Amino acid sequence: VAGHLISKNRNNDLTMKRAHLGEFEEIVLLMVAMLEGNAYGVSIAHEIIAQTNRDVGLNQVHASLQRLEGKGMVASKMSDPTRERGGRRKRLFNITAYGRQTLIDIQTVRTSIWNLLPSSVKPTGI
Amino acid sequence: MKTSSEPTPPLWATRLLRWYCAPNLLEEVEGDLHEEFIYQVGEVGLKKAQRNYITNVLGFVRPFAIKRKSSSISTPFLNMNMCKHFLTVAFRTLIRQKVFSFINVAGLSLGMVCCLFIFLWVQDEKGVDNFHAHRDALYRIYQTTHAEGEISGSYATPFVTSSGDFKEALSFAENLKQDIPEIKYATSYATGYELPWGHPETFQVDNKIYKLEGSRAGEDFFKMLSYDIVAGDRENALKNLNSLAISRKMAELFFDTPEGAIGKSIRYENKLDLVITAVFENVSSESSLKFDYLISWETCKTQRIEFASNDWVTFILLEDNAAAKETEMKINRWLKGRRIDVREGAKVELGLQRYSDQYLFSNFVNGKPQAGRMEYVNIFSGVAIFILIMACINFMNLATARSLKRAKEIGVRKVIGSSRISLVVQFLGESSLLSLLALMLSVTLTLILLPAFNIFTGKQITFAFFESSSWVFLMCLLLFTSLAAGCYPALFLSSFKPVRTLKGMVPVTWVSIWFRKGLAGFQFVLSIVLMVATIVVSQQTGYVQNTHLGYDKENLIYIRIEGELNPKYQVFKEQVSRMPGIAMVDRSSEAPHAMGFTVVGPINWEGKPKDADVGFKPTSVGFDFLKLMNLKITAGRGFSRAHVTDTAAFMLNEEAVKQMGLKNPIGAWVSAWDKKGHIVGILKDYHMNSLHEPINPLIVDVKEDLYFGVIIIRTEPGKTEEALVSLEKVYKEINPNYPFDYQFVDQEYDKLYRNEQVMAKLSTAFAGLAIIISCLGLLGLVMFSAEQRTKEIGIRKVLGASIADIINLLSRDFLKLIMVAFLIAAPVSGYFMHRWLQNFAFQIELSWWIFGLAGAAALLIALLTVCIQAVQSAVANPVDSLKSE
Repeated sequence: VAGHLISKNRNNDLTMKRAHLGEFEEIVLLMVAMLEGNAYGVSIAHEIIAQTNRDVGLNQVHASLQRLEGKGMVASKMSDPTRERGGRRKRLFNITAYGRQTLIDIQTVRTSIWNLLPSSVKPTGI
Repeated sequence: MKTSSEPTPPLWATRLLRWYCAPNLLEEVEGDLHEEFIYQVGEVGLKKAQRNYITNVLGFVRPFAIKRKSSSISTPFLNMNMCKHFLTVAFRTLIRQKVFSFINVAGLSLGMVCCLFIFLWVQDEKGVDNFHAHRDALYRIYQTTHAEGEISGSYATPFVTSSGDFKEALSFAENLKQDIPEIKYATSYATGYELPWGHPETFQVDNKIYKLEGSRAGEDFFKMLSYDIVAGDRENALKNLNSLAISRKMAELFFDTPEGAIGKSIRYENKLDLVITAVFENVSSESSLKFDYLISWETCKTQRIEFASNDWVTFILLEDNAAAKETEMKINRWLKGRRIDVREGAKVELGLQRYSDQYLFSNFVNGKPQAGRMEYVNIFSGVAIFILIMACINFMNLATARSLKRAKEIGVRKVIGSSRISLVVQFLGESSLLSLLALMLSVTLTLILLPAFNIFTGKQITFAFFESSSWVFLMCLLLFTSLAAGCYPALFLSSFKPVRTLKGMVPVTWVSIWFRKGLAGFQFVLSIVLMVATIVVSQQTGYVQNTHLGYDKENLIYIRIEGELNPKYQVFKEQVSRMPGIAMVDRSSEAPHAMGFTVVGPINWEGKPKDADVGFKPTSVGFDFLKLMNLKITAGRGFSRAHVTDTAAFMLNEEAVKQMGLKNPIGAWVSAWDKKGHIVGILKDYHMNSLHEPINPLIVDVKEDLYFGVIIIRTEPGKTEEALVSLEKVYKEINPNYPFDYQFVDQEYDKLYRNEQVMAKLSTAFAGLAIIISCLGLLGLVMFSAEQRTKEIGIRKVLGASIADIINLLSRDFLKLIMVAFLIAAPVSGYFMHRWLQNFAFQIELSWWIFGLAGAAALLIALLTVCIQAVQSAVANPVDSLKSE
């Protein structure tokens, strides 16, 4: 959507300004977007393990969520109590418009750079 | 999966989580961990799940989980506006309460001045002997002796080795260096001017004659120690026979320039020509060794050079990779087979002390150098800190006392939304501001008073203002004072409950009142302790200086016997005796006020028990000595020319008779070295040393032909000037190759108490400071109390109270406080003073009046302070205080 609005040379400026996202934060943000309203500590951790096959601690996920919320990329609310957690509530996360825009920006920059890669470097199938 | 009961995570881990985790995060985190746990139980089993649960709990110990959400709207906790506001308020408070501010700043800066001076002094003390480039590898040898159940230690290293030759003993340092590879350099060192036999030595070039104080040292001396060489050769300065290194001062005295002195010959003690090989920079006060010249050790070995004492010392420089402990062992092993001067049953051991420690730790405790000037450093540092604390207490006291005044302010602040932290910051800021003012004042004062301080301590201290250590110290001082003074008030004031303070209820608790009184009491305890110390030290100093020594020390002059004075002694005596102003002339082998020499072995007597161990002070005198000194004879008679045999006669003092166990001393024979004779008389005990030492056994004989010793001259009272002129005239005639130099016995005697005099002055200064600071504090408290009770006083007066009643009302509490302080201070000071007096063999008694005087003085001063304010409030017109309501 925003791709054609961004001229090539302003590209970097915008990405620099917007996406203060670490690699892990980006993944967590993607997971929040993916899980659509059912994103909370455990579900995100499990999803990351399932999708990326890397070892993730709950503490890392919580820390990232805190940071993302601080940056305004996710919003949260407490759920209703559930039995499986001994009656405790979950904090459910949703991606905000700003978070979504950031993900799109990152993706746009990536794609535009990928397109510039010489064909010898590009793996087949991309 | 079916389980009889729900699987649970470890309880302690959950508790830990609940303890550290921020409350606003706890629910979700705990929930997530629980869910994960249940999930894992299904996946990997209970045991592993529990382990993972613990790992997870620990994994959450991170700032984001621990940090509590601030309850108020989060604003940066010290923004510029607030700072400015605090500063304004602080200045307003400062100006509004001028007297309190003055008391605070004055008290704090007095304490700081005290600290600064002591810091400078301690820096200076610690800097001594630290300028040597090789200081980390430089060591001094000491010896620990275990003999007859006693351990003693000394720095002396004249060890007689297997050859038994004195010259061999003098070669100790060289032999050591040769045989032990860890030792790079080694040197012996001995002064020519210290007690017991030392004196300034005479040098002559053409017609220039001067007496100077110097030492003897080995050829490695300048290679080990970093004394600057301004002319000549460092490597070979002290290598050869008859070589001499001199200071710049001495070079300029004789040859005008240092360069001009090199290679020149100089006459030493009118018996030896020495060649100047090097000129070194004047020895600074940073060096504990003091010398104007160094004679090469080689010269000492072959020529007849006298030492101030035969106890020379040895310094060594280790190789870079050598360890001190191992070298110590090697030296001991090396020496073991060689020494023949160790008494049977005694065990000696050599040790190495770091060269840079020798100045501060030079007294032997249990055979090791562990005490010394360091004790003074510690005492003074302690006193400085205490005085600073006293000043801080003033601040605390006044700040808490005035809390009522500010209770409303605090209430309003809290209501508006100030957090406790920001109140604490505000009050700490105020104390820092005051401390800063005090610090600036005290630095100024220190700079002004520094010259006086230098005269006082005999040092050349400069305030190295631009050195980092000074800055660090000043910053620490500021920080300490601000915190020490500000902490309690800040915490106390910020704890007020706004509802109560705004209602006008005064948040005064018993605890805070007692705390305040306790602090003021503590100040007075310190003041009284210091006052007792002042009285005791000055009493003792007065006592030792004014005690009648058993001889008449006034109007006595002595000059050293040297050059022609011994051969022409009779002529000198006759001529001087005839001159105006001179009452009498005689001689002694030792200066009468400080007999340093003690012997045990060479003295024998009739019926001496085998195990006798009596240390004698031997001295040889002229026939008129007893009369000259005005000594009393308790039995027998004095020496007399009328008895031809008196050249072989001896006299003892009472102490000697007692220790020797002689029943009928008169007529019994005694011998000293190879001289044997009879006892003709007993002298009444008199003090041959300072009163630090007990009166020792004394043995006196007549010898008028010794080449050493002193000639003692009694001048006629009030004619000292004339006598000196006469003496100089005769001296110049008879002994032209030596400069005329003389000492007054009473002055030299006083010098033995230099340490005590400094102590007396210092304790007086400290006690004065302590009293001033505590009185400032007391004044503040009384003023406050009077202000608080203005209305009460007004009503009392209206109802007919007299001025005396009011004064009584205001001062009663404080006087009680001082009584209590006195009860604590008396035993404490008594204990410390008792310990200090152990330095003296002759002490004043710690009688009750000393404590009484200190207590009374404290009471009186406090009463005066209190009364100044009390009277003011008491005479005030009650109408003024009552009209406003």
